Amino acid sequence: MTNSFGDIQNAKSIFIIGCNPAVNHPVGFGHILKAKERNNAKIIVIDPRFTKSAAKADYFAQIRPGTDIPFVYGMLHIIFKNGWEDKKYIEDRVYGMDEIRAEAAKWTPQVVADVTGVSAETLIEITTIYAKNSPGTLLWAMGLTQHTIGTGNTRIAPILQMALGYMGKAGGGTNILRGHDNVQGATDMGCLSDTLPGYYGLVEGSWKYYARMWGVEYDYIKSQFKDASWMGKPGFTLARWWAGVLAGKPGEDAIENAGTNLKALVVMGCGITSTSQNLKIQQGLDNLELLVIADPFVNEAAILTNRKDNLFILPSATQFESSGTVSATNRSAQWRSKVVEPLYESKPDQEIMFELAKRLGFYEEYTRSMMMNLKSDGYLEMTPDKKTFQWPEDATIEISRTLRTIGMMGWTPERIKKHTDNWHLFDEITGAGKGEMKGEYYGLPWPCWSVKHGGTPNLYNVDVPVSEGGMGFRNNFGLEKDGVSLLAGNGSAPLDSKVNGGYPEITKENIEKLIGRPLSASEKDLCGANWKTCTSGKLVDLALEAGLTPYGNAKARAVVWTFPDRIPLHREPLYSPRPDLVEKYPTYADKQNHFRVTTKYATIQKEKDYTKEFPTVMTTGRLVTMMGAGLENRASKYICALTPEMFCDIHPDLATKNGIQNGHMMWVHSPAGTKIKVKAKYSYTVLPNMVFLPFHFGGFMQGVDMTGNFPAGTKPYASGECANTVVSYGYDIITQIPASKAGLCRVEKA
Amino acid sequence: MENARMKFYCDESRCIECDGCSIACAEAHELPAGIARRKVITIHEGIPGKEVSTSIACMHCTDAPCEQVCPVDCFYIREDGVVLHDKEKCIGCGYCLYACPFGAPQFPREGIFGSKGAMDKCTMCAGGPLATNSHHEFELYGQNRIAEGKVPVCAAMCSTKALLVGDAQSVSNVIRERVAARGGKGINSSYGWDKAYKNQ
Amino acid sequence: MRKYFYALIALLSLATVALATDSQIWGEMRIQNILGYGQEESLKLGAWFTLLQSKYFAWVFLGVLIGVPTVFFLHYKIIGQKVFPHSHNKHYAFNLFHRTVHQIAAVSFLVIIPTGFIIVFGDFFGGGTLVRMAKNLHGIFTIPFAIVIIPMALMWIKEAIFNLEDIKWFMILGGYLSKEKRIINATQFNAGQKMWYWVCILGGLVMILSGVMMFFMDFKIEMLHNLTGLSHIDMLRASAIIHNVMGFILVAVFFTHIYMAAVAIKGAIHSIITGYVEEEEVKFLHNAWYKKLKEKGKF
Repeated sequence: MTNSFGDIQNAKSIFIIGCNPAVNHPVGFGHILKAKERNNAKIIVIDPRFTKSAAKADYFAQIRPGTDIPFVYGMLHIIFKNGWEDKKYIEDRVYGMDEIRAEAAKWTPQVVADVTGVSAETLIEITTIYAKNSPGTLLWAMGLTQHTIGTGNTRIAPILQMALGYMGKAGGGTNILRGHDNVQGATDMGCLSDTLPGYYGLVEGSWKYYARMWGVEYDYIKSQFKDASWMGKPGFTLARWWAGVLAGKPGEDAIENAGTNLKALVVMGCGITSTSQNLKIQQGLDNLELLVIADPFVNEAAILTNRKDNLFILPSATQFESSGTVSATNRSAQWRSKVVEPLYESKPDQEIMFELAKRLGFYEEYTRSMMMNLKSDGYLEMTPDKKTFQWPEDATIEISRTLRTIGMMGWTPERIKKHTDNWHLFDEITGAGKGEMKGEYYGLPWPCWSVKHGGTPNLYNVDVPVSEGGMGFRNNFGLEKDGVSLLAGNGSAPLDSKVNGGYPEITKENIEKLIGRPLSASEKDLCGANWKTCTSGKLVDLALEAGLTPYGNAKARAVVWTFPDRIPLHREPLYSPRPDLVEKYPTYADKQNHFRVTTKYATIQKEKDYTKEFPTVMTTGRLVTMMGAGLENRASKYICALTPEMFCDIHPDLATKNGIQNGHMMWVHSPAGTKIKVKAKYSYTVLPNMVFLPFHFGGFMQGVDMTGNFPAGTKPYASGECANTVVSYGYDIITQIPASKAGLCRVEKA
Repeated sequence: MENARMKFYCDESRCIECDGCSIACAEAHELPAGIARRKVITIHEGIPGKEVSTSIACMHCTDAPCEQVCPVDCFYIREDGVVLHDKEKCIGCGYCLYACPFGAPQFPREGIFGSKGAMDKCTMCAGGPLATNSHHEFELYGQNRIAEGKVPVCAAMCSTKALLVGDAQSVSNVIRERVAARGGKGINSSYGWDKAYKNQ
Repeated sequence: MRKYFYALIALLSLATVALATDSQIWGEMRIQNILGYGQEESLKLGAWFTLLQSKYFAWVFLGVLIGVPTVFFLHYKIIGQKVFPHSHNKHYAFNLFHRTVHQIAAVSFLVIIPTGFIIVFGDFFGGGTLVRMAKNLHGIFTIPFAIVIIPMALMWIKEAIFNLEDIKWFMILGGYLSKEKRIINATQFNAGQKMWYWVCILGGLVMILSGVMMFFMDFKIEMLHNLTGLSHIDMLRASAIIHNVMGFILVAVFFTHIYMAAVAIKGAIHSIITGYVEEEEVKFLHNAWYKKLKEKGKF
């Protein structure tokens, strides 16, 4: 989230697309309802289903899954035509909007109506409301990201916000709702195969920085790779790790994995059965040489597989049996305290990893940094007289002094604990602290540039000084492109800034010019090459003194010249219900070495006209009672009493056409040849041409009950088919997130 | 001195059928699965403009009909309006359920031939006739949070604070503020408020 | 042969009970008192039930409990029993099957009715274990009654059909309002007995049905729902009202039957034990039957 849940109460219009906050964030949804109540905010929901969020909305557009880009271009078309865009904002803070204008010109309301299924009147109405009720905030989640063009979707949405000047304002911004407790923390810590923690890139400079911060030699790290070139290559993804296992078998995608397949998998606290192509996941699990799963409940991956040995299940402790920080969807930190010792033989995750490290022989290197402290000159030293590290405080300190890109320097254990203990002293809407917490925002939302900084509640906000969380856009893409400056325009800078306009990110080279004074020799000594690697913090301190944002003040770019689509473009899903539109808006060419796996696009889409055999649109989504792979929830008997079995929301018209009665079993067939047997549930929330499947069930595979594999006493109260068994091939072109929201299927009476 | 009159109000403009109240109640009182003292229902699901969700449990009515029809007279009504009953007197006849406009009484299958056992219903977290906060009281009736000065767990858990419970005056004040903030739009009455309390 | 036929019918009737209890009450299909917006209760059965049960039912039962026996006590005192000499022949009118069935029904009634009263006046008995036991016995003894009710209905149905003679019988109330022994031109069953037959069989079936619906709460008969259009909770409320109202009638007429069978005609009770009826009683009280039997040479 660029802003926060509380800040939504400042919005005058709330645009919800590809997300269902009433179901995913029921408590957070209260802020949306309060905005509607107290601020007269208009709620707009764009969704293929009439969701619980839509039931509370003022305006609803029932869109065909996968056509979000046309819809937003349709809005931009109307906005530009009427001159509703914030011209000054675009001029000062956005690069490349003209290319967007050109594309938007093609998307007339009539064209949009044909592609999306939303009438021209509704499009115009919604656009008018959204443009006229400023500020507007835009929310999205997996409904927008889980498409082959997911990256395009997540670019067109902020482009809309920037066109209207809603980005970087209280009550505005793009408030992406992260789906998991601490998933924000997980991605910040680098649980991604193409970054280091803190989103440092996989380049030599970053590795050297990390070597230094981990207290090990760079060559030591290099020696862990086959050769240095592999340090710069992304690894497999959660979506397609199994391709690394199955490569070489007939029909499987080729991999580039240094000539070997993936042999072993360790799964820690991850519902890996809740990603697409579940049958492939089963095959991947079957063909591994070693599978280790660490979870408080028996992960369904353990029972879905047919393997008979080299499968180990380790009981890991829950959040109540362990302490540490968590990051909320709005970038705030909170402290979690252990309230009970780990039960039975379960171990906290870090202990499992430490034990593994010990046996693999790198425990000392692994934990060395926690035995070190950062001196004022920016160098680490082994802390004298320190016998053991204090977990998790020493880990938190390590994080705060290392992850500078996102500004975690202010996240000391003491400060975070103090916030969590005093959460009653913070304002519900702004997050601002009062009393002894004055000057800080709850949870010190990052970037929190230093231990004196109070956090950044709303990103990209130039209406406040940097010391209060103000900032422009990050200077990440160079200083100019095609002759146009990429730095912010004159006059566009956070309040009280020494430089009233754009400037590059702070480096040792430019610091003196930017702060307007020369540095002494001792000051110069403390400066690292740039603010991200300056471990004394000197560059950041100097910048903050001058009211400058350490990462610069640049324009946001509407054009990404390194992506296959410079600007977001609509491309039909691989399995599209509109073959005529597939001609006009085809998908990408197949991609080699996409996170090590050849990933198909055009080959799949062009293979045949799927609509003949699979005429029904299929989408997946969440239930309020469950989360992710659903295993934890299905171990609660009360939750199971409410949602006891897997089902399919089907419109009565579609059901009766196929002889499917309410409450009776039905088959859902996928174009990949997989099928699931689920209970039919008549619902008007879906249109007669589509069905909806919740993705939280597991334990059954294509009609076969695998739950007999559960060790005695560990089977959850409810099991069922997994929706992802019928979610077929399809991955985002940049991130490889599975495309689960816009598929095709055939329904059949069972 | 006037006593508080405890009432429930579910603000249907805010209820999103998250079922938090239903599950919180079941967990807090360790109810057998299948006994749902509090249920959330959605009417006209999928119909724009008509879909409504609301949370229903015993409303602790004025002139409670359940108390009127009980053949063994096992109900007792506290001064603050909370309607409770004695499970050890109850014979599981079901009359209270027939009289109730809200379907609050629940019956576990504990009688002969799997017929109804003693009735169970929302106690507004006020326990039962047994010694307050005793183990026996917990086993039969669940937590007695009112005696500890705590809010009934359903309203405490409500995600959007749709479900309110407390002294009628305080609840009415909150609702009045919300209605005013909404400018009178949205759903401004709760199913059952009039039926249960008849302005008393 | 007939007995086996009757027994089969009885078993089949019970079987329907078993099938119907495939219930959905504990899952999705729980009793929905809550009506959709715009669907107000048309019959207001809930309100009716509350009013009737809270204010009237117990009093009416008390009235029946005290009033009916009082009336017959007065009859006994004022008019007294009719005594017929048992000197002449007897006729074997009721075979073992008849008597067994009748006795089972009788014993069932003798438990069902007092336990029913205990439930109605549950608060007087302090609720709890005693009244719960009464409720359980009330239910348990419904089973034998439910088994015999169909055979009993079938074995006597021919004799129970009303005809024009019965109107005359009612006009003089069967001669029971005077001490005189008059010739009454009734068949095997007089109009009073016929009335009790229909009240007992039809009323009994209604009591069983409504009772089972209340006892098991989720005992669902689709046909009834389709016929009446009522929701299940309204069916339950209707059952409660019907069970109580029918209860008044059944208790009142049952007390009458007991008085008639055991007191009003001295010695008549023996026919349920031995199966024999006395010639004099038949000649006076069931003259038309007497004539037929004489023709057949029974007397």
